[in-house]
Amino acid sequence: MKTILLITVFAFITISINAQIINANLIASGLTCSMCSNSIFKSLKNISFVESVESDVENSAFKIIFKTDENVDLDALQKAVVGAGFSVAKLTFVMNTNSLDVKDKSLVEIDGKTFYFVDMKDKTLNGKVELRLLDKEFNSPKEYKKVKKKLYSDSEKRVFNVSI
Amino acid sequence: MYLFKQMKNILLFICMMLVAKSNAQELYVYTEPASNIPAHLLSTRIMTSLYKKKVGSGTNIHFMPEIRYGISGNLMVQTQAFISTRNESLFAEGGSIYSQYKFLNRDEIKRHFRMALFGRASFNRSDIHQEEIETVGHNTGYELGVIATQLLHKVAISSMLSYERALDNGSQNEFPKTQDNSATNYSLSFGKLMLPKKYVSYDQTNFNLMCEFLGQRLNGSGKSFLDIAPAIQFILKSRTRIDVGYRHELYSTMLRSAPNGLLVRFEYNFYNVLTKK
Repeated sequence: MKTILLITVFAFITISINAQIINANLIASGLTCSMCSNSIFKSLKNISFVESVESDVENSAFKIIFKTDENVDLDALQKAVVGAGFSVAKLTFVMNTNSLDVKDKSLVEIDGKTFYFVDMKDKTLNGKVELRLLDKEFNSPKEYKKVKKKLYSDSEKRVFNVSI
Repeated sequence: MYLFKQMKNILLFICMMLVAKSNAQELYVYTEPASNIPAHLLSTRIMTSLYKKKVGSGTNIHFMPEIRYGISGNLMVQTQAFISTRNESLFAEGGSIYSQYKFLNRDEIKRHFRMALFGRASFNRSDIHQEEIETVGHNTGYELGVIATQLLHKVAISSMLSYERALDNGSQNEFPKTQDNSATNYSLSFGKLMLPKKYVSYDQTNFNLMCEFLGQRLNGSGKSFLDIAPAIQFILKSRTRIDVGYRHELYSTMLRSAPNGLLVRFEYNFYNVLTKK
């Protein structure tokens, strides 16, 4: 019953809109030294849709600028960090929006990706908006525990849980 | 040798300082941490060791060139060659293959706890001249073990436990029947990042201090040894590594040919090898 209800809700609120992800800020965990940070830097730079990467070695933080008009695969960022031997503790990304209506606890299809918005008031997004990914593999175990219950959990499709 | 003595004193002092503070980072000189090298990283190393002979005079010099590759973030492979100056001229004694698999990874900001399994298979054709079993550069054989590593900001602590088995060194040098052919190895390693105090770029030289305790117990007779091995390490431009360490026997109840000596290693890393962009 719950599934049917979710599917119905999903069908009603899914809207497909074009919006470009411009950049992302990533904080990696599990490292201190610059050699480790450099490994992450090199593997992020090697991703096909990444234009450039700036790193803040002290805080294991990376600002990633994406190529325009290329599809940004957020999961590929996480895989690059894990491949380097570390984890993602936080990922926020900036997206260009244009009259995008979003509601709390609702699914929105943007540029071929499905997002589930949590912890927000219903609003219309315009211009550059920064979103935070709440999924398990993009957060430290401690942070994930805090938001876990609020997340959309349907394994059928890749849904990115986000908050503003 | 005067140089050995001086070096030993300095490094022992470093070691005491480290332990007193209770703790390099985890790129240990004498052991591997549970953290693997990154996926698609090709790491090249050349290690030279100079060990003072216990019986008679002279120094045993070994060269060990090495290549490591990260197949994935969890699996790495390594191959190493053993060359020595045993017969006055350079002598290719053998080589080994090594693989390490990280099976546990718990990351937090500037912290981690990791565990890994490793295995090594070695071939060596030199003569067997000691009771100590060492598949890195002395014995044909294999080693299987487990490693646990904890990183706490600038300090890393790691421990290893392994089973090592020696076989005949080719058909020319059979393993002596009177000697124990298997051993249990254990280690406890401390490392601390000393410099830079604060990171601003990848070009800053990193300076690490390490202190490791390396032990072995022969499974049959119970004969054992314990060594202390302090080391200093420089990391240049976040991709070149230089290690200098001194290994010193604290006690031993078994015959060892040359337990005390100096180690120098040079490492250079190539990133994103064998990947498509």
